[in-house]
Amino acid sequence: MEPLTSSQGSSLGGALGQVFAHGIGGSKDLPIPLGLTIAGAVAALTVSFTVLAVAWRTPRYDAERTGRPAPARLARVVDSRPWFVGWRVFGMLAFAYTAMVAIGGDDSLINPLFGIFYVLLWVGFVPASLLLGPAYKAISPVRTINAMVAKLTGGDPDVGVFRYPARLGLWPAALGLYLFVWMELVYPFATELGPVRLWCAVYVAAMLVGGALFGNTFYEHADPFEVYSTLVSRMSAWSRRDKQLVVRSPLANLDTTPVTPGLVAVTSVLFGSTAFDSFKDSTRWVKFIQGNYVQDHGLTHLVNNLGLLTFVLVVALVFTVGTMLTGVGPDLPRRELPGRFAHSIVPIVIGYVLAHYLSYLLEVGENTLIYMSDPFSNGSNWFGTADWQVSYFVSDHPTALATTKVLCVVTGHVIGVVAAHDRAIHLLPKRHQLTGQLSLLVAMICFTAGGLYLLFAA
Amino acid sequence: MIRRALAALTLVACTAGLAGCGGDGSSGSGDGKGLSTKTITVTISGDSVTPNGDRVDVQVGQPVELVVKADAAGEIHVHSDPEQQLEYGAGTTTLKPFTIDKPGIVEVESHALEKTIVQLEVK
Repeated sequence: MEPLTSSQGSSLGGALGQVFAHGIGGSKDLPIPLGLTIAGAVAALTVSFTVLAVAWRTPRYDAERTGRPAPARLARVVDSRPWFVGWRVFGMLAFAYTAMVAIGGDDSLINPLFGIFYVLLWVGFVPASLLLGPAYKAISPVRTINAMVAKLTGGDPDVGVFRYPARLGLWPAALGLYLFVWMELVYPFATELGPVRLWCAVYVAAMLVGGALFGNTFYEHADPFEVYSTLVSRMSAWSRRDKQLVVRSPLANLDTTPVTPGLVAVTSVLFGSTAFDSFKDSTRWVKFIQGNYVQDHGLTHLVNNLGLLTFVLVVALVFTVGTMLTGVGPDLPRRELPGRFAHSIVPIVIGYVLAHYLSYLLEVGENTLIYMSDPFSNGSNWFGTADWQVSYFVSDHPTALATTKVLCVVTGHVIGVVAAHDRAIHLLPKRHQLTGQLSLLVAMICFTAGGLYLLFAA
Repeated sequence: MIRRALAALTLVACTAGLAGCGGDGSSGSGDGKGLSTKTITVTISGDSVTPNGDRVDVQVGQPVELVVKADAAGEIHVHSDPEQQLEYGAGTTTLKPFTIDKPGIVEVESHALEKTIVQLEVK
């Protein structure tokens, strides 16, 4: 019943405007123990070479054959009009609520906008898409608005004025994702209302213009949140074949990821930025940023920007080199390899993102649900959640949390290696099938070990 | 057959390796009673602050006391849940001790300088 105490409200409000590069959420996870780090890395290493040595020698995954139709009753529900409309309405309500707190809410950290933007939208869609399939696409408010406009003007939401240039592929989404992580990790006023509101407004405007120009294809390729969510949903059990709902093993499903220009850029932004998020809190980086050289020359901004960019580029470089260092047949240009193998890094990205954000999602996510009951910071309780107390269960059990994080990373690695193995058998000429995988394997081990190291050292 | 055996062996080895390392470490929050106070001396002069982003180990529930020597009054933020703010004056101020009641990394920042003074590693 008790509203947020005024002292808490004002203290948080007073902190705004000056807090530098400090995201939402209070304390962060403890580093994972050294023993677990090493165990995880060794497990990843062993599994990698075991897969190489013992796994199948003929391609196993084929979009045409794998999976089976979903149970008829389930399919009927999911394909029904009320289901479709229901999620669209949910998305529009969520959009209206977000717009409301963005425009009318206080410039204070208890404004739920920050939690909605940085936690529910950015992190929440990862588990949601993993469990339920392409979740953002189902509720995407920009798709809904585009469809409504098309209906009013008598057009078709799928078709725009122009054809979406195939060459662009996912590059616009990669750029959008980069702008999001830049906002979250580099921009110094990330927890002020104005900039977040502006970011959202630009996003919505760009999506509506894009949708009008290119139709729904635009969202599939350029909406950063939809692209992220749909990419993660490739690891879910759900997919469609000729519009029919199909249940598949996540590995078989992952194999159906379309090879699109910019896919490597998307995965590199996601992995590189998460790694930088870990790294930027490490003592070494903090001391460097706050050290005399950077401070005296006023380089804080530049160095932070370069840090994020470097992480993303290094991930892209390691992956590109890792996939290209193999013998290929005459009919497969080497430069096509990174794109052809890009799906295999998706599980590694998801495993690492889950590990990195697990406690953040649960704890700051719950805090967001609490704040959402009080959109205008006046002590109201719209949804009855205002008097919840955040459960710090996972933080209170650091060993269990650390073990879960390592398991996430290692599981992602194993799935990635298996996916790459199957693709290698599919693509590479017989004599290069085993040796051709080695360089990619090394790249993957670098990512996994690097991710674990950052969880340990930062 | 050999492949199967190898695969099984790897799985067992990895699981054992992970499980073996999962047992150590303390969990849950101590009651903090009888823990000695951790005193951290902070010097702020002009644009510089010491310590400058170091890690300091503290226990869950252990009182942490900041002794601030500063050339101007200011404010220190402790980014725990919920956040705590401590004000200090020019000269030497001993701030009221605070405790952190759950494990994690807690940043202690200088408000005006926008710098991390220490990161408390709370176990």
